[in-house]
Amino acid sequence: MIRPVLVRREAPVRGGQPLAFAVGLSVALLLGAVLLLVAGDSPIEVYRRMLSASFGDLEAFSVTLNRAIPLALAGLAVAIAATMGLWNIGAEGQILFGATTAAGIAQAGEGWSGPVLILAMIVGGSIGGALWALGPAAAKAYIGVNEIITTLMLNEIAIRLIRYLINGPWKDPEGYGFVQAPALPEQSFLPNLFQRTHVGLLIAIAVLAVVGLMVSRSSWGYELRVAGSSGATATYAGISLKRKILTVLVLSGAVAGLAGGIELTGNATRLTETVSNGYGFAGIIVAALALMRPSGVAAVAVLFGAVQVGGQSIKAIGVSDAVSTVLQALILFGVIAAGVLIVYRIEMTEPKVRST
Amino acid sequence: MDAAPLAVELKGIWKRFPGVVANAGTELTVKRGSIHAVLGENGAGKSTLMNVLAGVYRPEEGDVRLFGERVVFANPADALAAGVGMVHQEFRLVPTFTVAENVVLGAADRVLNMGAVERRVAELAEQFSLDVDPQRQIWQLSMGERQRVEILKALWRDAEILILDEPTAVLTPNEADELGLVIRRMANDGRSVIFISHKLHEVKQYCDEATVLRGGKTVAASMPVADLTPRQLAELMVGEATEAALRPEPRQAGEQLLSVQNLRALNNRNLEALSNISLSVHGGEIVGIAGVAGNGQRELSDVIAGLRESTSGTVTLFGEDITTATPRQRFRAGLSYIPEDRVGVGLAPQLSVTDNAILRSYREHTRGPLIAVDRAKAFCADVVDSFKVRTGSLDQRIAGLSGGNLQRLLVGRELTAKPSVIVASQPTRGLDVQGVKAIQELLIDARNEGLGVLMISEDLDELLAISDRIIVMHEGRIAAEYGGADANRSAIGLAMAGESP
Repeated sequence: MIRPVLVRREAPVRGGQPLAFAVGLSVALLLGAVLLLVAGDSPIEVYRRMLSASFGDLEAFSVTLNRAIPLALAGLAVAIAATMGLWNIGAEGQILFGATTAAGIAQAGEGWSGPVLILAMIVGGSIGGALWALGPAAAKAYIGVNEIITTLMLNEIAIRLIRYLINGPWKDPEGYGFVQAPALPEQSFLPNLFQRTHVGLLIAIAVLAVVGLMVSRSSWGYELRVAGSSGATATYAGISLKRKILTVLVLSGAVAGLAGGIELTGNATRLTETVSNGYGFAGIIVAALALMRPSGVAAVAVLFGAVQVGGQSIKAIGVSDAVSTVLQALILFGVIAAGVLIVYRIEMTEPKVRST
Repeated sequence: MDAAPLAVELKGIWKRFPGVVANAGTELTVKRGSIHAVLGENGAGKSTLMNVLAGVYRPEEGDVRLFGERVVFANPADALAAGVGMVHQEFRLVPTFTVAENVVLGAADRVLNMGAVERRVAELAEQFSLDVDPQRQIWQLSMGERQRVEILKALWRDAEILILDEPTAVLTPNEADELGLVIRRMANDGRSVIFISHKLHEVKQYCDEATVLRGGKTVAASMPVADLTPRQLAELMVGEATEAALRPEPRQAGEQLLSVQNLRALNNRNLEALSNISLSVHGGEIVGIAGVAGNGQRELSDVIAGLRESTSGTVTLFGEDITTATPRQRFRAGLSYIPEDRVGVGLAPQLSVTDNAILRSYREHTRGPLIAVDRAKAFCADVVDSFKVRTGSLDQRIAGLSGGNLQRLLVGRELTAKPSVIVASQPTRGLDVQGVKAIQELLIDARNEGLGVLMISEDLDELLAISDRIIVMHEGRIAAEYGGADANRSAIGLAMAGESP
């Protein structure tokens, strides 16, 4: 019997990643269309709505960009750690604790002027995220504890912490019995840049550019890449692995925490346990699709922002917004599957002869 | 028929790998119920031959016969089904499973009665004096116990032929003796054991017959061990002397540059790998370290380079104590290191040629916090030109470079820093003839310019050809030392094997 076998190519297909991306996206949209048909919806109508809600006009695009900001920062956080071969699965928790820190600062600085308060909240969010990553970073650097487990577990703890705070010390006294955090002071709202995109866009672009440059061009980033390629080579060259693990995971947490601070000042009215909105987990997908390169993160984040915004828009015609979650997953599968074909080709062969 | 059919016949086995012929018509016959040693230096083709017998590799030419019948294995499972079990140097056990679970893994009944399995494993262990508790988990066991589990796995699958690939490398001497008893019981039970080793006293002690391989060929087949002296075995293993074509003009050694005093260090398994080593390297000499792999050479070079801590003793460079200096400090002080693992220690596999060229000097090619790409590339181009590294582009990943070019890049980078001492561990291993010659010439040139060179090699011919002095290491000690002129091949071979000449 002849059956297909994967054979490694001599060299990967040139320009393969954008190609794989296009193929994966198309396959995802096709499979999504099948799902929509089965559910009795018109794929063309659904996709048209999603497209117009996310890219239809400047206003739609400004909403998409707002979504892309936390996605890009979370993706960047994951990508930085991955440069050194580390997995930060805790961006979600770092976003949450960053937002919590920013909310705490908002309570303390109720009387501060807008710019000062906003700056304090955003910087505070970043420090909060860094602190939330410090434990896993130190455990990994000094006693070799797997960072995947620790960062993942701290996500849940961040949620519980917020629940405790809004049920206890931070419970809104004017909440008419509702369990919620107090409303943020009005001067803490991040001003808009254009349409509905807030100033966070500029911060995200600046951070992407600076961190991207640091990773790809600085001697710090060089050491990171050496350590990511081979820890033994780094040690041989005199690079301290402990210090590198510590700094890279803390920086990763700081970038995720920054997203938390920006979300709180830009899109929230009060601290909730859903302020992170799954951005931390989506960031892992964003980073993976960007091949862990900071430069690719921005583009993928905008696409994912569009899929999420489009997903919400189709609720209006009675289609579940779970479609967008399914589409995000299908895109990931599609692109990764297409990525395999960049490195391998399919050959039809007969199974090897066996004799006994 | 006057004799029972042979358990194993390997006839005219050929197996090539890119750039290397591992087996060139290798022959091996093993009798039923005997313990058969396969001897040879590293690279002699032992492991490849055993992997052919165990179904891991398919030979390009040649026959494999078991008990007189020709067999073709598509994979190790086929070989196992035909009765060939192999215990690899790296154990293949699930650390969090129990002994019994590991033994039946992949060979269990549909419905698993662990109690019954544990009883049967215990019986099997009892039958062959393999002392191990079936209920304990692998991570709790010593290396010797883990090896017994691997042997139990093979016995559970009714292996008639058991291959042990350097089984004593991970064992304490007591454990090795116990293993000797176990395999004797297996032989008495009618099974055949193939024992790969390069420790001559073990071969003498545990084995019935020996086959010696050199350069992929069988140089002595099925010789009764009882009739052989260790000296004869050593001579068969290392072969006859070849012309020392490269030997440099003798010259007066300069001042002492590197000195190691009473050095002790542990290996990765926390066993003592270096037991009181003292040696020195002077300017303008090549000091060769001879020895069979795993006798402390790797640990010695790592300790000197600062990649492994010593438990006692000192390392001095130019009379300064560098025992606790970092790798970077040592390099700055003039110590270059060509590690045994070129890619993975000396070079970073996923990075570009340029990134690898600046590994030692990246802090000098900076503009502010950023790496000055133009200056880094100029530096890389310099190394690539001076040391004739053949590469498509300076930006390409080093993964695309051949072994010889990788080593030129590494050696070039280390020599460009103008060191005073260079420690080179297996610098020519795996290279083709031209590559070997090029690297040897670079080291000789360095020596002629007054550098001190400490060269570790398992290739005795190479050491005889280029060393001014040869130090033989055995079991973490210095077994013997010879001046270049009076280095005697068979004496060194014996010292390498742990016999006094």
